[in-house]
Amino acid sequence: MRYIESDESLSLKLKTQNFCLWLVGAVALLAAGSRAQSGFSGNTTDFTSVEYYPAPEEAQVKLQLSGAEANPLPGGLLVIKQFKLQLFNTNGETQAIVSAPQCTYDTVRGLAYSPGPLFLQNGDGKIHVQGTGFTWRQADSFLVVSNQRTVIENGMVAPAGGKTGKL
Amino acid sequence: MILLLAPVLRAQTNSIPGGPAIITSAVGYFDENSRTATYIGNVRVDDPEMKLRCEWLVATMPPSGGRINHIVCETNVVIDTLQNGQTNHITSDKAVYDYAVQAGVTNETITFTGSPRIEDAQAITTGDPIVWNRTSGEITEYNENTIFKQGFGSMASPTNRPPKPQ
Repeated sequence: MRYIESDESLSLKLKTQNFCLWLVGAVALLAAGSRAQSGFSGNTTDFTSVEYYPAPEEAQVKLQLSGAEANPLPGGLLVIKQFKLQLFNTNGETQAIVSAPQCTYDTVRGLAYSPGPLFLQNGDGKIHVQGTGFTWRQADSFLVVSNQRTVIENGMVAPAGGKTGKL
Repeated sequence: MILLLAPVLRAQTNSIPGGPAIITSAVGYFDENSRTATYIGNVRVDDPEMKLRCEWLVATMPPSGGRINHIVCETNVVIDTLQNGQTNHITSDKAVYDYAVQAGVTNETITFTGSPRIEDAQAITTGDPIVWNRTSGEITEYNENTIFKQGFGSMASPTNRPPKPQ
């Protein structure tokens, strides 16, 4: 499994914002004690993190990342169980849903990766992608899936219109 | 990546309904910026219209959204189609699918290059390139060479082949 380095052009501000978002989210959940529970190891459970579109759609959620459990590792890494990523368009419609039993999220480089299974479906559920082993690069929404299987419910191309001919 | 997939594949739901298409490959790359889905390594497409094999496939959609308008298949391209009750076996180094609608007219073609070869029950046809117009059903072979399987005597027999353009 090859890990893709984040784009060099990703601004430090964005990296910092993403990392801070994770940190603030984890701390807020721990403090509220509502949905989150903190173990002795500092793990976080049932967390959700959102990212918004830039202006002028700054009120619209662009992506929502959640997990049943997040275990921090050195270097800004988080091991997330029951990873789920939802992407939305500017109208609030669901674009896609990505899920994985477990993955590692690199908060510094904005990468999520796992040698394990990944499941993806588009907004209306007509398209499904499954794979074993993936890397997702947050900066430019670039996804690599190994051993992938894509199912398009209504076919890849429309039936040929011509009724004559060899084909 | 995923934003690419969503409108691309939403467009597919507006196409003429058929069975599912299944694409498998060793690796899939989904790039939102270039609006492409790239499949590499033992690519297999099982579609109601055809069975396709190749080593590299890229599907692209236009920035404005809509259906897939460009597909490139390269390296050991093999396509098997069943149409009008006839099986056709096509091989080539490269196949390019293009879809466009201009002034209400749909133009949908597949262009085969790199020693393309079409075989059916009656004949084996080679040419370079070979262009299959999926809208009209016409096949245009450049530098064509056709070998009829049943011999010279059967050339007068009617086939499904269209008359060559004059």
